[in-house]
Amino acid sequence: MSLLDIWLGILQGLGTTAKVTGYGLIFAVPFALIFGVAQYLTTGVTRFFITAVIEFWRSSAVIILLFVFYYALPIVGVTLSAMTVSAMVLGLNAGGYASQAVRAGLQALERGQKEAGMALGLSRPAILVLIELPQALVAMSPTFINQIMQLVKATALVSLVTLTDMTFRAKEIAQTEYKPVMIYTSLLLAFFVVCYPIALLGRWVEARVKPGRGSPHGV
Amino acid sequence: MGFDPEFALSTVPTILGAIGTTLLVAISSGLGASALGFCFEMVRRGGGTAGLITRFLIDFIRSTPVLAWLYFLYFVLPFYGIRLGAMSVGVIGLSLYFSGYLAEVFKAGIDAIPKGQQEAAKALSLGRLDTIVFVIAPQMLRNIAAPMGNYFVSILKATPYLAVLAVPEMLGRAFDVASETYRYAEPLTVAGILFLALALVISRAVKRLELRLFKDSSH
Repeated sequence: MSLLDIWLGILQGLGTTAKVTGYGLIFAVPFALIFGVAQYLTTGVTRFFITAVIEFWRSSAVIILLFVFYYALPIVGVTLSAMTVSAMVLGLNAGGYASQAVRAGLQALERGQKEAGMALGLSRPAILVLIELPQALVAMSPTFINQIMQLVKATALVSLVTLTDMTFRAKEIAQTEYKPVMIYTSLLLAFFVVCYPIALLGRWVEARVKPGRGSPHGV
Repeated sequence: MGFDPEFALSTVPTILGAIGTTLLVAISSGLGASALGFCFEMVRRGGGTAGLITRFLIDFIRSTPVLAWLYFLYFVLPFYGIRLGAMSVGVIGLSLYFSGYLAEVFKAGIDAIPKGQQEAAKALSLGRLDTIVFVIAPQMLRNIAAPMGNYFVSILKATPYLAVLAVPEMLGRAFDVASETYRYAEPLTVAGILFLALALVISRAVKRLELRLFKDSSH
C-alpha cells in the first residue's frame, strides 16, 4: 500500500468527520446562544440551574460523556444512532464553552448601551437583539471560530463509538498494513490540513476585532 | 434490564480506587507539558531557523487531536525500537499535546512583562539564562497562574483518553468492570460522575489559589 493509498483511505473518513462537525454545530450554536444569554439575564435560583446545566456539559470529560450517553441512553429506553449521540455530546460540550464567550461578551458591554436603548423606549428583548447581541457576537467571534476547530478535533472520538471517521479509517488500515509511521503521520497531517485554516481564520478575525475592543469609550 | 442503582453503587470503590493513577497521570502530564511548553516558547522567542520550526510545531500540535497523538506515539515509538509502558506513552502524549497550549500561555505571560525589565537585565550585564531565571520567570509566574490552573483542569479532563491505551485510570477501570459484568451503563455513569466531581473540586481549588495569589500581589 503506497502513501497515496493510505492518504486516500484516511480521507474516506473525512465525510463522517465533516458530518459530525456539522450536526454538532446544530446543537452547539443554539445551546451557546440560549444558555449564554439566559445566564446573562437571570439571577438567583434560575441562574443557578442554568449554570448547573452549562457546567455539566463544560466540566465533564467529553470522552466519558460520549461513552455514558452511548451506553446508558438505550438502557433508559432512548435509542439514538451513534451519529446523533456523538453530534449531541460533542456539540453540547463545545456549546458549553461557547456559552461562556456569549455571556462574557454581553457582560463586557458598557452599561450605557443598555441605558441608551431604554432611553429610546425599546423593550428589553429589543435591546438584547438589536443592541447588545450584535456587539457581543462580534467580540466573541474569534472564540467561536476556535471552538469550531476544537469541535473538529474532538470528532476523532467518534471512532471509539464505531463511526468510520478519519481516525477509524487510520486504525482500520493499520490492522492490515504494518506501516504505523506513515499511517499515523498521515492522520495527524489530515487533521492539520482541516484545522489549521480554521485557526488562521480565527487569528485573522481576532486581529480585526481587537482594535474596537481596546477603546471602550469609542474614541 | 434497566439501570441498576445498587450495582452502580457497588462499582464505586473499584473505580474510585483508580483515582491515584488518574491524579498521577494528570500531575506528571502537567509538569511535562509545562517544562516542554516553556522550552518551546524560549526556542520560538530565540528566532532563527529553530524558532521558525518550533513556531510551526506549536501550530501543528494545536491543530491536531490528542487521540491521534496518543495512537501515533503508541504505535510509532515501538516501530523505532522504543518500548515504553502504556502509561508512559500516555503521559508523553498528554505532555506533548498540552505543551502547544502552554507555550501560548508562557508567551502571553512574558509579553505582559514591561520591556524595561529585559533592558535593565541587559544593563546589569546578566546572561541570557540568568535573565530568564531571575528576571523573567518570577514575574511571568504571576501572570500565568490563572490560565495555568485552567489548563491543569483540562489535562485532568483529558486523562480518561488513556483508557484507549488500556491504562488503568478511572475510565479504564470502569471499562474493566463493564467487560467483566457485561454491564456498561452503570460503571461508565459512575466514572462520569466521579470525574465531574473531581474536575469541579479541583477547578474550585485552583480558583481559590488564584485569588490568594492575586491578593498577595496587591499588597
